Order: sequence, then C-alpha cells, then structure tokens
Amino acid sequence: MTTTLTYDDKSVRRFMVAAIFWAIVGMSVGVLIASQLSWWQMNGHVLELLTKPLHDWVTAKFGWDWWPFFQTDGMAHLTISRLRPLHTNAVIFAFVCNMMFAGIYYSTQRLCKVRTASDLLSGIHFWGWQGIMVAAVLTLPAGLTRGKEYAELIWPINLCVVVVWSVFAINFFWTLARRNEPTLYVSLWFYIATIVVVAMLYIVNHLSLPTSWTHSYPIFGGLQDALVQGWYGHNAAAFVLTTPILGIMYYFVPKAANRPVYSYRLSIIHFWGLVFIYLWTGPHHMLNTAMPVWLQNLAMLFSLMLWAPSWGGVLNGLLTLRGAWDKLRSEPALKFFVAGVIFYGMATFEGPLLAIKSVNAVSQYTDWTIGLVHSGTLGWNGMMAAGMFYWLAPRLWNTQLWSKPLADMHFRIGLVGVLLYIAATGYSGISQGLMLNQFSPNGLALKYTFLQTLGTIQLFHILRMVGGFLYLSGFILLACNIWKTARTGNPCDETVEITVLEPARKDDMTWAEALINEPLAYILLAIGSTVLWFFLPPHADKAALMMTLLIVIMAVRAFKSSDSWSHWHERLVGNYLPLTVLVFVAAAIGGAVQIIPTLLVYREKNVEERLQELYTPLELAGRDIFISEGCHLCHSQMIRTLPADVLRYGRAGVADDYSRYGESLYDHPYQWGSKRTGPDLAREGGPMAKDPQGKPCSLMRVGNRGNPWHFNHFLNPRQISDSSNMPAFPWLFEQEADVNSLPNKIAAQTRLGVPWPVMTPHAIRTMVETQSREIAASLVAAKVYLPAKPQLAGEELRDSLAKTKAVALIAYIQKLGACRPVAKEGPAMPTPLNPDSYRAMPNTPKTRPQP
Amino acid sequence: MSQQPKRGQFAKTKDEVVLRDHAFDGIQAFDRKLPNWWLFTCYGAVAFFVAYWFVYYGTTLVKSPQQAVKERILAVQAAQLAELNQAMAGLNDAKLVHELATHPLYVAAGQATFMKNCIPCHGLDLSATQDDGNGQRIPLRGLPLTDHVWKFTHKPMGLFDLINKGSPPESTGNNGVRMEAWGQKLSPAEIAQVLSYIISKVPEDFTDTPAPAAK
Repeated sequence: MTTTLTYDDKSVRRFMVAAIFWAIVGMSVGVLIASQLSWWQMNGHVLELLTKPLHDWVTAKFGWDWWPFFQTDGMAHLTISRLRPLHTNAVIFAFVCNMMFAGIYYSTQRLCKVRTASDLLSGIHFWGWQGIMVAAVLTLPAGLTRGKEYAELIWPINLCVVVVWSVFAINFFWTLARRNEPTLYVSLWFYIATIVVVAMLYIVNHLSLPTSWTHSYPIFGGLQDALVQGWYGHNAAAFVLTTPILGIMYYFVPKAANRPVYSYRLSIIHFWGLVFIYLWTGPHHMLNTAMPVWLQNLAMLFSLMLWAPSWGGVLNGLLTLRGAWDKLRSEPALKFFVAGVIFYGMATFEGPLLAIKSVNAVSQYTDWTIGLVHSGTLGWNGMMAAGMFYWLAPRLWNTQLWSKPLADMHFRIGLVGVLLYIAATGYSGISQGLMLNQFSPNGLALKYTFLQTLGTIQLFHILRMVGGFLYLSGFILLACNIWKTARTGNPCDETVEITVLEPARKDDMTWAEALINEPLAYILLAIGSTVLWFFLPPHADKAALMMTLLIVIMAVRAFKSSDSWSHWHERLVGNYLPLTVLVFVAAAIGGAVQIIPTLLVYREKNVEERLQELYTPLELAGRDIFISEGCHLCHSQMIRTLPADVLRYGRAGVADDYSRYGESLYDHPYQWGSKRTGPDLAREGGPMAKDPQGKPCSLMRVGNRGNPWHFNHFLNPRQISDSSNMPAFPWLFEQEADVNSLPNKIAAQTRLGVPWPVMTPHAIRTMVETQSREIAASLVAAKVYLPAKPQLAGEELRDSLAKTKAVALIAYIQKLGACRPVAKEGPAMPTPLNPDSYRAMPNTPKTRPQP
Repeated sequence: MSQQPKRGQFAKTKDEVVLRDHAFDGIQAFDRKLPNWWLFTCYGAVAFFVAYWFVYYGTTLVKSPQQAVKERILAVQAAQLAELNQAMAGLNDAKLVHELATHPLYVAAGQATFMKNCIPCHGLDLSATQDDGNGQRIPLRGLPLTDHVWKFTHKPMGLFDLINKGSPPESTGNNGVRMEAWGQKLSPAEIAQVLSYIISKVPEDFTDTPAPAAK
C-alpha cells in the first residue's frame, strides 16, 4: 500500500533561522569577551569613552549641563565574567542545539519515511527552546547563575529545559514508532544517544536545592561536585557537540556527495565505542588536582581509548567522498563538510593528547584548552552547520542558492578565522603553560611571575579576537546568503509517495530476545569483571583481570563461530526501544562506576590530613557574590600536585601544600576552576587578624594581602598593577550584600550536609555585623577612598562600608584556604571502592599545615 | 524478518567490498573490513590501559603524584637553604654597607631587581608615594625607604632577613598590608643586590656600621 505524505519542513526552517540568529549573537558576545582580555576598557568603560566627547562638545557649545553620558570604570552587565557564560550558553545551547534540531527534524522524517509525529509538540519544542534562550540572555548578564560551567542557568529555567527536552524526546520517539522503514539508519542511533544521554547528564548535574526563585545550591559539593561537573561538562561536548553532529554527518555527507557510506561495520564499532567510552573521561578536566588518582588514571586511559572510535567517524565522513571529490568544486556544502570533518579529526586527536597527565600539566588552566574547544566548535560544529544550511536552504525554499561565490567567500574567511584562532590560542597556551612550569636555571625558584606570562601572551589574545571576528564575519555572509535565498524562493514542504510498512516488519523483537542473548552476556560480563579489576584489593584484582581476559577470548571465539552476533545487532537496530535502553545502559556505566564510589568514599569521616574550616555567614554571602560575578571563570582554587603550582601558590616552607579534597569538602558548588586568566586563589586567605589597635579580631582574617589591597584592587586593578587585565568592579561598592537571605541559605546548606552550627536569624545577623564592621574599620583606618561617597568619614564611613558587597567579598577572599589538620591514628587503612588506598605507600611522616 | 546481513559473508571472502542493498532515503553503505592501522591504534590503547594500570597499582615502580611533588619540593627547599647558608656565610653588615653598596655593578643589578618587583609598593623613588597625574603625591601601600625611619631594624643583615622572610609575623602591617617573603621569589644574591641598592640610596643611615677590618 502506498500513500502520499508531506514532511514538516516548516519546523526545519524555523530551527535553522533561529540557529543562524543565535550563532551571530553568541559569536558576537565571544568576540566582545575576547577583546576584554586585551583591553579592560571593553568592560563598560568604553561607553564612557564613546559618549563623553559628545557630552563635552554639547556642554561647551550650548552650555547645557544635562546632556547625559556614561561615567563608569566598568558595567556589571558588560563584564567579561558575566558575559562569558552567555557566550558559551548561546553558542552551545542556542546555536548548536537549534542547528541540531533542524538537522534532526529534517533527516529523521526522511529516514523514517513519516511526518514528525506531532506539529503541536514541534511548535512547543521550538518556541520553548527560544524562550529558554531569551531567559538565559536576561538572567546571565544580571549575575543570576548556578556557578557551574555550561550549567549556569538558574533552577526555574533548568525545569523548563527538562520539560522542553522531554517534549522533543516524545516527539522524536513517537516519530520512530510510526516509521515506515524497518530498520533505523546510523544517524538515528546517534540522535537516540543524544536525547537519552543529555537528559541523564543534565538532570544529574542540575540537581540542586533552591534557596529562592533565582538561587540554589547544587546538591553535590567539593570533589563530588567536581566529578559530576567534569562528567557533565565533558559529555555536553560529547553529546551536544559531537554525537548529533555525527548523525547529521551520516545523513548529509552521503546525500550531498551522492556516494554510499564508506563502512557500515566501522559505523557500528565507532558508535558503540563513543557511547560507552566518552562517559568515563570526565575527570581528565581535573588531572593533577585533588581528584583521586584512580579517577585521574581512568579518565586519562579511557581518553586515549577514545581516539580510535572518534577517528572511525572521521574515516566514515571523509572516505565516503571517495569518487566524489570533484563535487567539492560545485557543491559549497561539501567543502564545509570536509573542513568540518577534518577539524573533528584534529580536535579528537588533540583531546586525548591533552588528557595525558604530563601534557595536561602544561595545557590545563591555559588558552590551549580554549583552542581545542574552538577547533571543535568553530571547526567542526560551525563548518558542519554552515554546510548543512547551504545544502538545506535551496531545498527548503525550493530555489537555487542565491550566491555560490559568497558561500565560497564565507568558507575562506571562516577557515582563516578558525585557523588563526586555534594557532593563537595554542601558541599562547603552550607558551604560558611552559613558562609557568619553568624553573630558573639554578633550579631554586620559578623563572617567571604570573604577570610576566600574561604580558607574553597579549599579542595572541589580540590575534585570537581577530580570528573570532573573521569567523563571525563569515557567518554574517551566510545569514545574508540564506536570507536572499529565502527571498528568491518560496517556503516549500516536500511531498513524497511512500510505501506504508506493515507493523509486523518493524519493532518485532521481544524484550527477552533483545536483552537475554549471547553477545550482551559476554559484553556485560567482560565489563563487570574489568570493573572488579579496578576495585578489588591487591591480587584479587589480578584474578579479575585474568577473568576478563578469559571472557574476551571466549567472546571472540563465539563471535567468529557464527553470524548470530551480527544478526542480533541487525535486528536490534530495527527495534527502537531496546536499542534506546541499551544505548542508555552503555552510557550510564561509566558515570555510575566513577560517581557512586566517589559519593560513598570521599566523605567527612574519611577525610585525611586537612578539613575545610566552615565559612561564617558573611563569608558565605561573599562566596555567593564571588560566584555570581563569575570570578571562578578566571581564578582557580586548586594547587595541583605539580612543583610549579606548589611553589607559586603554596605557603612558604610547606613542602606538600598542594590542595586536598578535604579542603573544599563543603563547597557547593566546587571552585577548582577550569582556567587561570588570573592567578590561583587557593591560599589567598590567612589566619585570624588583629585590629588596628593590635587586639585580636573575633572573626576577621587577613591573608597574603591586606583588606585595603583587596579594596583598591576591586575598585581598580590597574591601581595595583598597571598591566592587569582584570575588570573593575565599582558596583560592589555601591550595592549592599544580601544578608536577609542568609538564614535560608544556611538552612539549605545544612540540609545538604554542611555542618553549620545551629544559629537563629538574629545570631546570623549579629555575626555578619561584627565581621563586616571589623573589616570596614580596618579599611577606614587605612584611609581608603570611596568614590561614591567621598563626604563620609569615621564611623559613618565604616558603617556604610560594612554593608557593601565589597566587604562581604573581602571576607570570603581572606578565608580561602582555611583548613584544620585531621589527626588519624596509625597508617591509612585500605578503604573498599578506593583503589588508591590499596596501593603500597612508602611510610613517610606526614607534615601538617602550619597554623 | 530483516534480511540476511552480508557482513558475515564478507569476513569469509576477504578483499571484497560489499554494498549493502538497503537504502535509507537513497543512502547506501559499503561493508568492508576495518582498516588495520585503525584496529592497531584501538588495541594499542587497550594494551596501554592494562599496562599502565598494572604498573601503577600492581608494582611500586611509580611514585604517587603526591609523593613525587613533595620530594621535589623538599629537594628544592634543601637547595634553597644550602644556597642561603652559603650566601649568609660570606655576608655581614660591614660587607653589605662598605663593599656591595658601593659597588656600581652590584647596585645597578639591585636597582633592576627593585624596579621589577618592589616599585608597586615602595615607589619609583623609594618614597612609597606616586604622582597621581595632577602633581599630587599619593601614598602607596609600602613603607617609605628614604625617610630615615626604619620600623623594624636598620641593621643591614636584619633588613636582609626582613626582605627574605617578609613582615615579621607579629606585625599587623602597614595599614594592614604586609610585605611578602621575597625569599620565595628572589635568590639570596638578588636580595643582597636589592639591599645594596637601598643602602646606596641612604648611606647616611648606615654610617654606624664599622668598615671591615683591614686584612
């Protein structure tokens, strides 16, 4: 029986236009924040420079005194640390996701020979997603953030994301269920993986306890939060930026080249390889840190194993073009696809490289990581998106592409842009990483200060901005080209005649057939016994390794002896629900094996050596300001187990002053950081201080630098060091710290397991007042100058200062690194689920941190 | 039922590339053997995994990162201390004031180090003030070094110690600002050079240091 159906191409057009719009928004913000690295004035002061001349001219010419102009050293909403999350969210979740939705809606209908199940759900999906992105634009620059990278959006928006994603999932799986095609094409496997894995990652990493409509604390803290964030963050790259785009590659590249896919077998292997291995690699973002060594080892080794499956995709993308390379001359889309796949190959080669501990010691916290990410996003995502748009536009509007030369121009500008970007960030990252790790020739001290390394990379920050600007220009050309194309044609929904599939020819596998069978049994047994090898005590682990080996040998023999394994897989991809379940299981194993033991083992009762001192209420308020302003995006709080880190950031004379996980145990969210645009702050705080009269303070602490130093530094970093590129934070001196919400916040933290003492709201307020006045008094004694209120002095100035956000933030900074020694009797005991504890450690006397 | 896959057949008849007959929206796929070089990288990564894990957890050949970094830092500290002891052995008040602070090369080297590290707090002219652009002097965070007031000590070796270790622990600092321990960043020789430069700026404060006894 045949029937005629019309595909829903309207949704595709909508998502595509939205993707182009958000690409330009997100990339523009990216170019702006890149410029802020080189010129601090771009953080708002530029508005004064632009508007003041007109003001001066008008005042002089007409004698008006009311003509307005901006007068500011920096504007909150335009500050790099608030805009950076907007850039990442806009390009990842607005640009790439909209592009992915366009590709998925277009190809799924054609691969399933059926119209998308529900137009209503498609509409909710589209408008819901754009609404979420508008909410992101409104909240992120306002400083409303959860403080976790790529998971910044506040909890009400998180709920909307979950709802809209579910709508998308229902619509997609419903379409699969109604398909007129017996089996699922490779692209659809990748789409399934994207939908279920992103849902899992997003929900787990966004679990939080709200304290108000706009604020919440993540339920995980310290190391556990770091692990969950690494797992989420890395796999946001994998399952938002990689798998859906691979699905799109598998559809659009053979379509545009009109050639068969290079190897079906390779697509099976690399699909399952990616889905299984990717989820183990998250902790490679915390190599050489307080992350337990076994997790670092797993992450590094799995990252290296990821190289082959990734290149499986590259081979299938590029070699599909064999016999069709001449088409690159005539089809602009193919040119972009080829460049995209090559960049994917480079990025997935570079990724495992940077996941090697010794390479990571240079790359971590520098621009090199940023360069790698952009070779993936600009090179792979952006090029694939552009290729897909150029291929789709003539088909969606039933016309010819308006201008092929313009598309060629875009290609050239974009390619130069991305190469310049990668070269500049790579050069600056490697230079800075090597300089920071370098000792002076006599080996007695570090050769360079942090500021000296910053000076070296200035030029490359500018080149990187130029590269980004070129890439953005290319996308503006694309927008013009697509706009003109749409204007020359008419929106057109493709109508086709298809053969209706009898229901019995699809989804015919019972759950028992799908789940209870030889291949699955061997694979799960092998994985299970490998996991035992990780966790069992010495010698038992070797037995588990032998068992794994045995199972693998038996599995290979079973696989070779008949075709039953490939039969089973062939049937599995004709049954979308069992396939989805198995994809989920394959993806969930990695996270479960890493996260569950970490949640069980690394708790207060097992902490060794050092335990974090609790914050005071004022310090907690300061910490929330620190997170809200995005300080953690440029300042880490993690001294790695690297000589240069310990010497540069550790306390003088303490040989083992690297960070322990116990030192950040109660931090919700964790603050280890991912980039050091400025220096590390792990030991910035210090012991209890004395007041100006020399009497001990009750709550105030002073660390490496005094309160007046921090005061002046927040007001204008250039006052402290000329070459600083840190933005000024003048509004911290005008706004009052949020003290009223503290009882709520402390109650929430108590529920999350932070051992706060029982305090009444009144007691909290009294503590806040005592500490803030001690700090303010020390500032008044140092004769600080408050530009907003120059007339105040003495106690008036003290009380006015005490309420400001600046004082709360200073309180927090002066607390950083405060911890107390934990005395444990006898040698460390082996702990189940902690492979590191089984390791034969040479017995050395432990040094305690100095009080 | 789905069709008989041709992949198994292919494995038996090597070198033949099979075009799978089903097309999805016109897209077909070849079936062919996985490239050998690709398989080797795959197996190589797995073998490396097993070897690395086994060596780290099954043997004592490799130090833990914590152990390794601590040993390295202890070695650096021991070398720092040795150099400091050596430098201090040949260094005394008389030598600093009468030999080093009057030696032009030594003072020039000290000036260079001072300009690189010390002027943010002590000022270009050592007065701990700077011009605000309107001809007014505004105070910096450090103590002035040319006002003939020595808060802690004016013994040259005492000043050496002060620069090396930073503000004494009992000091509340100058308006809360304490000097850091420069021994972490500068070698003893550099500290001696900086100190020579400072002494050369106010030699009158150190006239009470007797000249070294003639040999």
